[in-house]
This record gives sequence, C-alpha cells and structure tokens, in this order.
Amino acid sequence: MAATHALPAAPPVQRPRVLVVGTAFVSAATIMTFVGLIGIYLTQRAAIISAGDTWLPKGVTIPLQQPNTMLFTLLMSVVTMQWAVHSIANNDRLNTYLALSMTLVFGFATVVMTWYLYTLMSLDISASSQAVLTYTITGLHLMLLVGAMLFIGLMAFRAFAGSFDARQHDGITAAALFWYALVAVYVLIWITIYVTK
Amino acid sequence: MVRLGLCRPECICSNEVPTVMSITDARPESATDATAASAAPAAVSGSLLGSGDHKAIGLVYMVLSLLFGAVAFVAFLLGNLHLVQDSFLSGSAADTLLSASELGFVLLVAIPLFIGLATYITPLQVGSAAIAFPRAAALALWTWILSSGLFIIANCVDGGIGGSREQAVDLGLLSIVGLVLALMLATVCVLTTVIALRSPGMSLDRLPVFSWSMFVAGSVWMLTLPVLVANVVLIYVDHHYGRPSEFGVSSVQGIQIGWVISQPQIYAYAIPVFGIAADIIATLSGRRQPNRSAMLVAIGAFGALSVGAYAQPYFFPEVRDQIVWAAMGVLIILPVLAMLGGWAALLRGGKPALRSPLPLALVSVVLVLLAVVAGALAALTPLELRETPYVALGQLALIIAAVLTSGVAGLIYWAPKFGGHRAPEPVGLLGVLVMLGGGVLAGLPLIVLGFSTKFTALSDAADLLQYVALAGDALLALGAVLGLLALVSSFRGEAADSDAWGTGQTLEWMCSSPPAAGDFAELVTVTSAEPLLDAAAGSQEA
Repeated sequence: MAATHALPAAPPVQRPRVLVVGTAFVSAATIMTFVGLIGIYLTQRAAIISAGDTWLPKGVTIPLQQPNTMLFTLLMSVVTMQWAVHSIANNDRLNTYLALSMTLVFGFATVVMTWYLYTLMSLDISASSQAVLTYTITGLHLMLLVGAMLFIGLMAFRAFAGSFDARQHDGITAAALFWYALVAVYVLIWITIYVTK
Repeated sequence: MVRLGLCRPECICSNEVPTVMSITDARPESATDATAASAAPAAVSGSLLGSGDHKAIGLVYMVLSLLFGAVAFVAFLLGNLHLVQDSFLSGSAADTLLSASELGFVLLVAIPLFIGLATYITPLQVGSAAIAFPRAAALALWTWILSSGLFIIANCVDGGIGGSREQAVDLGLLSIVGLVLALMLATVCVLTTVIALRSPGMSLDRLPVFSWSMFVAGSVWMLTLPVLVANVVLIYVDHHYGRPSEFGVSSVQGIQIGWVISQPQIYAYAIPVFGIAADIIATLSGRRQPNRSAMLVAIGAFGALSVGAYAQPYFFPEVRDQIVWAAMGVLIILPVLAMLGGWAALLRGGKPALRSPLPLALVSVVLVLLAVVAGALAALTPLELRETPYVALGQLALIIAAVLTSGVAGLIYWAPKFGGHRAPEPVGLLGVLVMLGGGVLAGLPLIVLGFSTKFTALSDAADLLQYVALAGDALLALGAVLGLLALVSSFRGEAADSDAWGTGQTLEWMCSSPPAAGDFAELVTVTSAEPLLDAAAGSQEA
C-alpha cells in the first residue's frame, strides 16, 4: 500500500549542546568505573580489618603530604577551568588561553606528584592484593587525567585557531565537565585510599 | 509555521544519489540543513570502510552480531554437550567454549545487535540527519570488530577467562575491555542522538518507543558496564603485574564477572525488546497505543530493576540473600505484565495485520516473561533454585533467545529501511517457529532441571532435558542465520514505499526506503507521539 506523509516544516532550530551531552554520559560512566573499583576496595579492606589485621601490609607507608598537595592542586585547577569557561563565554580570549594553560600546568603537576608518590610508597604490586587495588585505582585515575589533559589541550588548540566564542563554546564546557568529574573522583580516592588507609 | 499538504516523501526526505561518506563529513548538529543533507551520502551501496554514515555502521553491527550469534550458540551447544557426554572435549576446551559463549552472548551478540538497530533506526525515528558523533560511532564499530577478533583469537589459544596461557589470558582480558569501551562509545552516540538531536516538538514522552527503550537501556548499560571494566582491569593488573595475588587467579576470574550474565543484570540486555515490540504492535494494529505514557514508565521501571552491577557474589557473598536483590527479582515481573496488558488492549480494539514481525515480537516478549518468572522463582529462597546453575543458564538462554527473536523481528519490520524491500514473509514465519521452538527448548528444560534439588525424579531425566536444551541451542543458531537471510533478502524484490506497512506512525516511515543521504532534508515539527497518524488524519480532513 502506498502511503506518503508530510508534516509541517520546523523553523531553524538551535541544536542542543551535543558535545556536552555526550561528555556528560562519558563522565557518568567514568564515575561508575571508580565507584565499582572503590566499592571493591572498601569491601576488601573491611574484610581484612574485621579479621583483626591491618589493611596495609607491615612496613608499608603511604605519606599524606603528596596526596594533600595533589588535592589542593586539583581544586585550584577546577577554579582555573571554570575561569576558562567563564572567559570564553564573555569572548575574553586572552583569559581563556591563560586559564586553560594554567589548568594544564596543574594537571601536569598532579601527574608528576602521583609519580613521585609511587616512588615514596614502599608498596610492591606483586606482593599483595592491597597493592594491586591501590595501583589499579590510582593508576587508572592517572591515565584518565592524562586523557582529560589531552582533551583540554585539543580544545585549547582549537581556541587558539579561532574556534569557540560567547555563543558556541561547547568544546571547552565539555572538557571542563570531564575535568570536574575526574577531580570529584580524586576526592573520593583521597578519602578512601590516602586518608583512611 | 507552514502546514504542508500531502506530498511525496521526496518533499521532505533528500533523495540524492548515494555516494560514499567520509567520516570527516559535517557534524550532525549542522547537517540538518538541506545543503549538508544533500552533500552527505550513501547508505548501503557505498563503501563501508571508513564510513561515518549511521546506516552503514548499523548494518555492519547487525550482520556481524547475527553471525557471532550463530557461532556463539554452536559453541554453547558444544560446551554443554561435553557436560552431558563426558570426554566429548577436553575439560579446558569445554570450559573455554562455555565461558566464551556466555560472555560472547552479551558483548558480541545482544548489545551489538541492538546498538546496530539503534544506530540505524534511532536517528530516523527522532528526525535527525545523522547520528551524534559519526566519527566516534565509526571508531566504536571498528574497535568492536578488532576487539571481537582478539577475543575470539585469545579464546582459541586457551586465553579466555580462566585460561591457562598467561599471555593469551592478558590478551583476552584486554579484548574484553576493548569490547566494552567500544560498546559504551557506541551507546553514547545513540543516547546523545536521542537527547540532543530530536525534531522540534518531540519531547521525551513523544519519543518512538524503540528510541525510548534504547534511551533506558543505554542509560543502564552506561551505569553498569563501566563496573565490568573495573572488574576486568583489576583482574588484568593482578594477572599481569601481580603474582597473581587474588583477583587474577584463574579459578576466580569467571566468578568475579559472573554478575554480567546473572539476574538482575541479564535483564538489562533485553530492555529494547519491549521497544521493538511496541513499535511493531502499534504499527501493525494501525492504532495509537492507549496509555502510552504508562508503557514508557513500565519500560523505565524494567530498566531500573535490571541494574545489577552491585550484585557481585564474589565480593559480597550474601548479596543474593538480601531483600533488595530478591525484591528486584520478583517486582520485575510487574512492568512486563503491564506492557502485555497494554498491548492486549491495543490488539483487542483493532484488526492487526498478521505479518511475521507481529508474532515474532510477541514471542520475544513471552520469552522475556518466562525468564523473569524463572528469576522470580529463583529469588524465593525456599525453592532452593540457586543450589544448581541450571536456572541461571536457562534464564541466559531465554534472554538471549528473546534478544535474537526481537532482533529478527526488528530486522523484518524495518527491512524496507535497510535494503529498500520487504523481507519475504515465509522467512519471517519460519523465524517465528524456529525462535519460539528454540527459545522454549533451550531455556525451559534447564529451568525445570533447577527443581531437581526438590524433586529427585528430575535428576534421572537430567540427560534427556539437557539434550532437549541442546536442540534448542541448535534452533537458535539457525534463527540467527534466518535473521541474516531476512536482512540480505531486504536488498532484493519489489521496491517498498516509504511507509511500507501503510500504517507507520513514527518519522522513519516518512523517509524513502531505504533512506537517502542525510535522511531528512528538512526538519519537521511533531505534535504528538504518532506524527504520521496526525498527518494522515490532517490530510483526510482536508
């Protein structure tokens, strides 16, 4: 049976923020990955402690100074990232470049600090399941942090090349959203792994 | 806003001659205007390699997932045959076949089949010129194909879950991570299309039901599959870098990710079954779905009750004794019954066209119903159905059978949009018999066998019941091949109209069959959940 239909044509529409919506889903998935890992971490920790043992094997210490420094570095990066979003929303390109660059510097500092922390921790990955859990969670976060820095870097290059303005700056907003998600995950890691130990 | 009269679909849909699409083509949000649509390309006839066209990507997913479905059921059959006829295979080979096929059902068959259908159909249903992030969709497809190959190779060289060759096990674990990441990326593309690229006036409650079901399913997958990634990464790190100390030990690898193929998570793969059934039943009945919002809520409730990432017995041994797990297992029957009631009301009030997609859709829903009833019985502790693995295996068989049946129903229903022609009705009718027989035979005997702890006489019939289940597996492998046949046959025969069934309700039936490049040359405004019925009613009034 032949059937054809027509509907009223729509006026030109302003498309919703596709990249921001997609990044929101990716951020949610990222958070769920760490929720899963930290759930396993806490369960294992509770089991060992309830058996009368200590969570970290004897002789293992995890200093708190470096994790604290990383926490405040990342919190400052949240401010600079929001500064970038605010600046581009006001067509202030100079401040946008400055804020994105500072965010990348803070991110790089966090990566270096994590690496330094690994050298300070006398935690052998092949020695215990505690070490496996700790390195898996913090290592995966480190990888994603580097990925987020690449995302921010790419958006920064696009901004340098003239992309984004007050009306359309989805790329920077999306990069900021993913960055905030990773900082939120770090806060969770800081409490569960570094503070409570 | 101008209200157009009835016209040929060319007025709305671009009918440019298909050409090959590059993945560097226009972003979807800008491709909705006519220029982008006419510059865009080819559906099916062009080169698939490097294409960012949602139609080409969707077709590749569908073909490969059906192919993998046939292979997975044969592997499942051989692995189970070993359990019945001991010494048929070596023990490790049988274990590999079973673990690979069970995980393959999810990562190579069920999710990709629906992702393929959604990648093709969802942009058409929401009135978009393309899928969101076409390059990411292409990346997801090729990552999935590469990871599928690595998964199969790793299992072939004793590197599956719990395998004994260490490097191959590492490869197998990485392939699982690749598969999940690819499927999640593809899911993001579908979800973003549904959220951000809808036609004006199409609020979420006006979404076509299949698109809504993919929105629910995709959301559940995005919340649960990352937890699978977490599990597998933990296993990998321990296996590769550790001694292994705990997580990477071969004997417990499979147990840690067993929740993926157990209830309630197993139901998450069947959520789109309801969307496909709803669209088919509404179209072939020729009527608007009464209480449509309630149907959408029921699908959402089914999705919420299928979130199962928390139910990991390896880490939480008592989780299946908790009230939450039991309540979810029992309550999930209610949305299924609600939807069946809604469809009964729809069918009773009209004269449905008895075409093969209709019984196929009903069979798929019945198979899901059988699975959730079995799950509810298993959730009741006094029945001791969790003492043996039979009920869980029966549920898995029923759900995968439902997914395949639903996929075949969708393939036949939307065949004109794939190849431009209706699938032959005999293929569909044969599919009804094969899928109904296969699903029931593959699942029910195992569930009956689950009662053997209460009724010892059943233990004596164990071999017979398992042979019957094996026959069901063979039928389901045949069903996957029939699905492929239906898809291929849609490229031949008499050309179909844009609204091939004559009673289409949603926007995909406004496009030519198959849709031309760019799908919609012009955005349309919708004012209800059944815009084509509105247009038909408007033209009759005029």
